[in-house]
Amino acid sequence: MIAVRGLSKEFDGVKALRSVDLEVARGEAFGLIGPNGAGKTTLIRILTGQTPPSSGEVLFDGEEIDPLQPGYRLRIGLVPQEPAFYGRLTARENLALLARLYGIDRQSASGRVEWLLSWAGLEEHADRQARHYSRGMQQRLSLAMGLVHRPDIIYLDEPTSGLDPEARVSLWGLIDLLAGEGRSIFLTTHDMEEADRICDRLAILVEGSVRERGTPQHIKGLLGADRVEMRLPAGSEGELEAVCGRLGLSWRREGEIVTVTGPELPDKLPEIVSTLAGRVSDLHYREVTLEDAFLRFMRGVD
Amino acid sequence: MRGMAALIIKDWRLIIRNRLLLVVLVIYPFLIMGVIGAAFGDAGRPVPIALVNMDGADTGEAAWTGIETDEAQGLQRRFRRRGGSVREYEGMEEAMAAMAVGEVNVLLASADTDGTAAWLGAELSRDEIDAIEQDLRGEADAWHEFSTAEEAAASLEEGRSDVLFAVWEEDYPYIAETIWLEGENHDASALVQRFGRDVTEIREYASERLARDDLKRGRVDAVIVLPRGFVHALKTLDEVAVLNVIIDQSNLVKAEFAETSIRGFTSRIKDGVVRNKTEAVVAGLYVLVSGGDFFGTEVTGLEQIRENLLDLKEATGDRPDMQGKVDVGIELAETVIADIEDAAAYLRGTALPIELEVSSVAGRVLSAKDAVVPSLIALSILWTGVLCGAILMVIEDEEGMRVRLGLTEMGAFSLVGSKLLLATAVVFAQSAVMLALAVAVFGVFASNALLALVIIAAASFSCIGIGLVIAAFARQVAGAVVLSVLVSFPLIFMTGAVFPLSQMPGFMQWIARAIPLTYAIEALSGVMLRGEALADVAWQTGALLAFGAGLLALGSFLVRRRSV
Repeated sequence: MIAVRGLSKEFDGVKALRSVDLEVARGEAFGLIGPNGAGKTTLIRILTGQTPPSSGEVLFDGEEIDPLQPGYRLRIGLVPQEPAFYGRLTARENLALLARLYGIDRQSASGRVEWLLSWAGLEEHADRQARHYSRGMQQRLSLAMGLVHRPDIIYLDEPTSGLDPEARVSLWGLIDLLAGEGRSIFLTTHDMEEADRICDRLAILVEGSVRERGTPQHIKGLLGADRVEMRLPAGSEGELEAVCGRLGLSWRREGEIVTVTGPELPDKLPEIVSTLAGRVSDLHYREVTLEDAFLRFMRGVD
Repeated sequence: MRGMAALIIKDWRLIIRNRLLLVVLVIYPFLIMGVIGAAFGDAGRPVPIALVNMDGADTGEAAWTGIETDEAQGLQRRFRRRGGSVREYEGMEEAMAAMAVGEVNVLLASADTDGTAAWLGAELSRDEIDAIEQDLRGEADAWHEFSTAEEAAASLEEGRSDVLFAVWEEDYPYIAETIWLEGENHDASALVQRFGRDVTEIREYASERLARDDLKRGRVDAVIVLPRGFVHALKTLDEVAVLNVIIDQSNLVKAEFAETSIRGFTSRIKDGVVRNKTEAVVAGLYVLVSGGDFFGTEVTGLEQIRENLLDLKEATGDRPDMQGKVDVGIELAETVIADIEDAAAYLRGTALPIELEVSSVAGRVLSAKDAVVPSLIALSILWTGVLCGAILMVIEDEEGMRVRLGLTEMGAFSLVGSKLLLATAVVFAQSAVMLALAVAVFGVFASNALLALVIIAAASFSCIGIGLVIAAFARQVAGAVVLSVLVSFPLIFMTGAVFPLSQMPGFMQWIARAIPLTYAIEALSGVMLRGEALADVAWQTGALLAFGAGLLALGSFLVRRRSV
């Protein structure tokens, strides 16, 4: 749906983006992760028409478009990092205002506003001024405001930043619903759990360049697989080798500790334990998280 | 312009739901109007002036003597022993008051044993007074005479005199005389009261010291001291009648106001006196022509003399030698009569060669209250226009909505246009209500109120434009308010609202010409106070619209540029 080719942006001689190539398919949830200053927000600003690129092109459904043109902007939605709404207007008034500004007629706008209030779980608070909402409610309102005009793709700029766990999970639920509707999602985040949970594909942006891209599993796989660590006395190597060979796993010993790695390890673990019955102690299953992968990747970069 | 109505409704809700904005943008200008209206509501009231009439009804004055002596206590004791009529007073003021009303005719003051001054008074005969004076001279190491009570009191306070002695002298000539002016007979005090009543509020004081005290406390704006013999000098013109005026120049405006008021009414007194004298001299000259009472002397008029000479000529028709001599006399009489008539006419014309006839270009006399309203409305336009323009735009940044709005389908100029329309409506409504209140409630004169509304609309564009420019440099409402005040405050002083433009240095006048508010004040003053038509203020109105267009374009450009 969206393809970015050789996109660069330079501010006062500083290169914020360096020839970025990305693609987001229709209905795909795409995540952009990277450290502070990597260029994530700059990329979103370019894609939402807030600033022009220095060079490169943006393709929408295969056609080159100018992100500054209204025709394109009507097909995108934006949820900024900080909740963006008028605090002294109610949720209903905020949504109705945007509906009017998107050119939706009064009758349709009313129906759309009620639907969004319900969708975001704000119908009970629809007539309270938004400044009195909790941070989670404010971010849900902000998300709903980005959807007033039914955009094809919605840009979420660190949407759960600063939210408590409950509010974060609540917002994830809404984003899941969006993904379920077949809408494309472009998410920037620091939260690897969020990226892992929401995104179909990820890209790691460092110093303005895309360093890696792929599914979360692929990213994690680049830095190693899940593993099991156990204490196993010497003399059981023959049986260990036999069961690992049968299950397609590999193992290594360091002193009394044996580490087993390989695909679908959680499913295969019971067979290993029953084969080595009575001799295994201190068994730990270690899952590689996206955060581990990201941190190791960043350390590797440094 | 799509979505403009929705944006205007939104902004209006933001204003009325935010107490700070409601106060700053809507209520505050009315509060200021109330304060300034109250300050100027009584403007034009008489200037409070203290009058100390030394030429008053008192029949005498105190002659003050101070002596240096070691026998002050002994002199005090001897004074007390002179009889039951000795009275004690709290201080000089009380003692002087008692003497002025004739309660006592002698005062003696000396430092008491506790260091305070003891003031004693008594009603004594001339012989008794002479005896006391002899006693004092016998004990005096040094003898001083003072022309005023204040000098004497200062001498005692500073230890230059040990004893003060005052005797009420009733021999001052020419006291409390009256002068006939404009159909009434006036003594000195009545003269000032009568001629000063239109512009001053005269309060009489018993002494100059008390009057000065009230001048220092701000209870009066000036002190007039009428010296002894003031009216006498005015009547006889033997000498210049001096009026002592004391002003407090720590407040130059107040001092200038008071001095101008005093000069105004004393000028009327002077003119009246000169006119009286002129008429008297002219009348005297005509007596020389017609005959009659010439300042107390019965004289035969020149016309009668001429008639007599004509009779004589006729009687001596047979004496040619006499005829020639009589003819010389007749000719002289006729010449002098003609010269006197010329002189009388000349005197009338030259004694008061200039008379001011002041009229207002508005066709009526304006009060300070009338004059301040155009500036007040202009300042309100500046305040609300600048703040409204700046705040309404910066709110979008503060709420994080600028980007969201930029993604909508609203028209390219909807955002700026909605701010402009709402701010103009607020400024216009506010100024219109202010104008209506000023006229209906405070009775302010507004010659052409409808045209004033046109000027108000034109002026509001410029001020809102300034606000938009400011909005380009602020991210939060608080910052926009501070910047707006920083920008507006100097403008107020550079536009002629406070200080007349004509009195400013040339370069400041050029700066003033670059400020739209200057034109707003000129145009509003023109249509409200001078009754000017649109054609008369076309230049100022055009300048306001040009400034408005320029500033709005610049503000829009800066705001849009910053958002990209």
